[in-house]
Amino acid sequence: MVNKHEQRREAVGLVARLSFAVLLLLSAGPAHAQKHGGVLRVTHRDNPPSASILEEATISTDMPFMAVFNNLVVFDPDSKQNRLDRIVPDLATSWKYADDDRTLTFQLRDGVKWHDGKPFTSADVKCTWDMLTGKVDGKMRKNPRKTWWFNVKEITTNGPLEVAFHLNDPQPSLLAMLAGGFSPVYPCHVPAAQMRTHPIGTGPFKFVEFRQNESIKLVRNPDYWKPGRPYLDGIEYTIIPNRSTMMLALETGKFDLNLTGELTPELVKDVKAAVPSMQCLVQPSNTQGNLLVNRERPPFDNADIRRAMGLAIDRKAFSDILSRGVYNVGGAMLAPPEGIWGWSPEFMATVPGYGADVEKSRAEGRRIMAALGYGPDKMLPLKVSTRNIPDYRDAAVILIDHLKTVYIQAELEPLDSAVWYARLARKDYAVGMNVQGTGIDDPDVMFFENYLCGSERNYTAYCNPELEKLFHQQSMMKDLDARRKLVWEIDRKLQEDGARPIVYQSQGGTCWWPQVKGLKLAVNSIYNHWRFEDVWLDR
Amino acid sequence: MLSYIVRRLLLMIVTLFGVSVAIFLLLRIVPGNIADILFDSAGLIDPAEKQKIVVDLGLDKALPVQYGQWIFGLFRGDLGYSYVSEKPVIDEILPRIPITARLAGLALLFAVCTGVPLGVISAVRQNTGLDYLLRVFSLTGLSMPSFWLGLLILMFFVHYFGTIPIYDRAPATYWAWIQMLVIPAAAVGFRSSALIMRLTRSSMLEVLRQDYVRTARSKGLSERAVTFDHALRNAMLPVITTIGVETAFLMGGLIVTETVFNIPGVARFLVEAIRWRDYPMVQNLVMFIALVVVVVNLIVDLAYMFVDPRIRYGQ
Amino acid sequence: MSEIAYLARRYPLGVGGAIIMTVFVFAAIFAGTVAPLDPFTTNPRASLAPPGGTYLMGADMMGRDVFSRMIHGARISLAVALGATFLGSGFGAALGLSSGYIGGWFDLIVQRIAEIMQSLPLLVMALVITASLGPSLTNTIIAIAIPLIPNVARVIRSNVLSLREMPFVEAAKATGMSEWRIAVVHVLPNTLAPLIVLATAQLGSTILTEASLSFLGLGVPEPWPSWGRMLSESAAEYVQTAPWLVIFPGLAISLVVFGTNLLGDALRDALDPRQQD
Repeated sequence: MVNKHEQRREAVGLVARLSFAVLLLLSAGPAHAQKHGGVLRVTHRDNPPSASILEEATISTDMPFMAVFNNLVVFDPDSKQNRLDRIVPDLATSWKYADDDRTLTFQLRDGVKWHDGKPFTSADVKCTWDMLTGKVDGKMRKNPRKTWWFNVKEITTNGPLEVAFHLNDPQPSLLAMLAGGFSPVYPCHVPAAQMRTHPIGTGPFKFVEFRQNESIKLVRNPDYWKPGRPYLDGIEYTIIPNRSTMMLALETGKFDLNLTGELTPELVKDVKAAVPSMQCLVQPSNTQGNLLVNRERPPFDNADIRRAMGLAIDRKAFSDILSRGVYNVGGAMLAPPEGIWGWSPEFMATVPGYGADVEKSRAEGRRIMAALGYGPDKMLPLKVSTRNIPDYRDAAVILIDHLKTVYIQAELEPLDSAVWYARLARKDYAVGMNVQGTGIDDPDVMFFENYLCGSERNYTAYCNPELEKLFHQQSMMKDLDARRKLVWEIDRKLQEDGARPIVYQSQGGTCWWPQVKGLKLAVNSIYNHWRFEDVWLDR
Repeated sequence: MLSYIVRRLLLMIVTLFGVSVAIFLLLRIVPGNIADILFDSAGLIDPAEKQKIVVDLGLDKALPVQYGQWIFGLFRGDLGYSYVSEKPVIDEILPRIPITARLAGLALLFAVCTGVPLGVISAVRQNTGLDYLLRVFSLTGLSMPSFWLGLLILMFFVHYFGTIPIYDRAPATYWAWIQMLVIPAAAVGFRSSALIMRLTRSSMLEVLRQDYVRTARSKGLSERAVTFDHALRNAMLPVITTIGVETAFLMGGLIVTETVFNIPGVARFLVEAIRWRDYPMVQNLVMFIALVVVVVNLIVDLAYMFVDPRIRYGQ
Repeated sequence: MSEIAYLARRYPLGVGGAIIMTVFVFAAIFAGTVAPLDPFTTNPRASLAPPGGTYLMGADMMGRDVFSRMIHGARISLAVALGATFLGSGFGAALGLSSGYIGGWFDLIVQRIAEIMQSLPLLVMALVITASLGPSLTNTIIAIAIPLIPNVARVIRSNVLSLREMPFVEAAKATGMSEWRIAVVHVLPNTLAPLIVLATAQLGSTILTEASLSFLGLGVPEPWPSWGRMLSESAAEYVQTAPWLVIFPGLAISLVVFGTNLLGDALRDALDPRQQD
């Protein structure tokens, strides 16, 4: 017979054991499934011009070195789309707009250290953006995104943990720009020249070495301010310029991951056929193929000929040939469902040149050319310039094919990259086949970088003051839906004007072996999620 | 003899001087410079910003001044700084040279060790089935593009072994280096080996016919002694010349092989440096290569002179 | 007829080489009629089609027929090779002959120039030339011809050096013949044979050089279907699923060079008296 005391003790023991078990279950959350350790091996496509993200605009620098830094804020990694309403803290713990929406104040995280041990303070934020806006000469070699910060009047600090951005006009997109991969915070005490060769950040990985044309090595930052992160011991990028070698190496398991977006949809099929267990994702890379039309020189100083060319283009054919139909068709902004600001299919059908009936458009183009005196026996000779790189060349070859349908006899002029660039600057070209990326899926970024009168990336010197007013108008709008409608209108006007005819919106493939876990890619940009702090290796 | 060597050394210096001027000018004729490339990768077109870089690097100075700065720096041992990595050129080049040297050395070793014996066999067994087989085999070696061979090798390994013999990290030991370089070296050396085989064969044939060999035969020496001692030594002459010529041609094979097998040697690096218009890097690398070629030529000419007494230069 | 039979018996390999070359040259000249499809037309639906049916050797990434591109490619590759070889060998022979025969200061200077040209790596020269002149057919020919010159000059020169000491030249000198006449009448014909052999050998190497240049992205540009470029970037990436894109152009290159080498060997056997069996 069990007496009362023993019963009680048994009950207590049972409860204790049960609670212990429950506690165990509760604490054994996802944090314990990840394995620590291992070096991630990534293939890289070409030599980054430098290690300084602020000075470069290419994924070659962004992807490897983003892990060395932190931003003020980042796009929520758990959101598949980079969106304005899914921005989460990084070095800033919270932020608030003033009543007039012209001041954005950030509260900064305490106890964060740079990789060389010095403390991170608000002064570093001020240094970085004073340099980016051009207020202070930071001795950078180049500042590709200076236009992003056109609206920033001044940066002020209030103690070591508070910093405020003072704007000329309200600009909801500012947060998006701060959240992108191209907006890390730099230290005040390290000169720009060193950031190009040996960058110091606050991020989960420390820079170890960068051997030109060979490899980039990063090692785990044991003092990272996020507890328990990162999981990996290090990341190594090996530069393999030859694509076939890269493919074979990835498929034999010598590497875990390839440079994002580098594989065409066809190549992804190739990889999956060779290694069925490979995880691959083909997503919009937020790069677009577009035409640079020189409006200052014949023949394209003639608006009619510009129109005719626009009507000749069969955008679907580009997509079909270059990607077996995977590439999107759209305007300047990335098309839905991946893009936030692109036209709906119904709206797109109303934009000239995007109609479904290509033959009709081309017939119209031929009419225009015939009125100017051209015909099948008298074709307009033209040189299509492009960089001497397969992707560019392939697209140019297709364009030449299409131009034939409106009596334009075009010839390919492949140019060495340096030459291409110099010719662009001198406006010594008729039409150029161009491929360009946009760091963030945001209309402020797209319009102000490329279409503003006098902006550096406005290669064709397109200038429409009426439209610019609309750029500024949409920039201030807080209501997402209303803003989107205005953006659609602006986009349509840009296409009608033939400012920079968009020919296709690329998709790129990224593949990784199943043992790589925790990789979270966004669907509307390739540049913004390479912190690698949540990635771990299951082997 | 000594005066000939001294004269050749002086002429070597003249040649190197000529090479330096040639590459210096050639680079500057080519349109586009580092500022263009840097800005192109960032997608910018601001002429003022570019000009700052140009001035910074001294590219706006007069050509003779730039040339002078380079050459005087060379004499002091200062090779300048890379425009791209901003590190001293010496630091970039020095670690890469041994890699390419090992690859080239292994390739030549492979070529000589396979080419000479096969050539001898082919000559001694002239017009037999074996001879024809070897000749066709060597012709195949001369006919295949070396990068195609490299690609086929990679495909073969991936398909049948699931591995790929490319460089992915720095091998730890010397032996590990050799292991890694063996296959690319064979790919590069296959062609040279074929060439050497053919040359060995034809010069052996020629020599085997000549009088003094018949005399040696009549002295009663064994067939073997005749073949190896007399004929081989004299047949080596054109082979040595070829090695000299091949060294220069080898560069091309090295460039594509280093590309296909992803070896971070000096050859691949040179191509990239040209693409980037990294003048200090290209100039100094080309000078180095020219030095190697010129020295090899000198050695070859001296050897040629020693062996063929009929050639005397202006004496 | 009996001549051909005689040749076939004496130089079986050489005749084989000649046959190969004839086939390719025929294909090159009559490419328009021989090729079943247009090599430039893109057809997205046929992208990466395997060999068989309409696409005898399969189709490439853009849906172009590989077989037709190969045939047209013969024209490009052979044109570049022949052009570069003639240019390079011609200049090289002239240089080698004159410098070897005249000797003295002239020889010294030419030797140095030849050495300078030889010391600049071939691909470097080609890269620089195509970058400055722009990628085109003519520029590729020039870029490949230039490095040939010093090599040919060197060989011809050493040949001339030996010939100069030959008894018949001494005899001619003794009879008071002018240097110029001796050079043209006695020395030149004796260099022709080795020159032809050398040139034929160089033919093969120029085809290979063009292939390497195109592989690296230089050389003959789009849309000309050069074999070398068919092997580079947009073909070699699909090496696992579409290996025919890599195999066929490579085979073509190898076969043509094989043919030139066979032919060259036979020519050398026939023309160079020292090599007679």
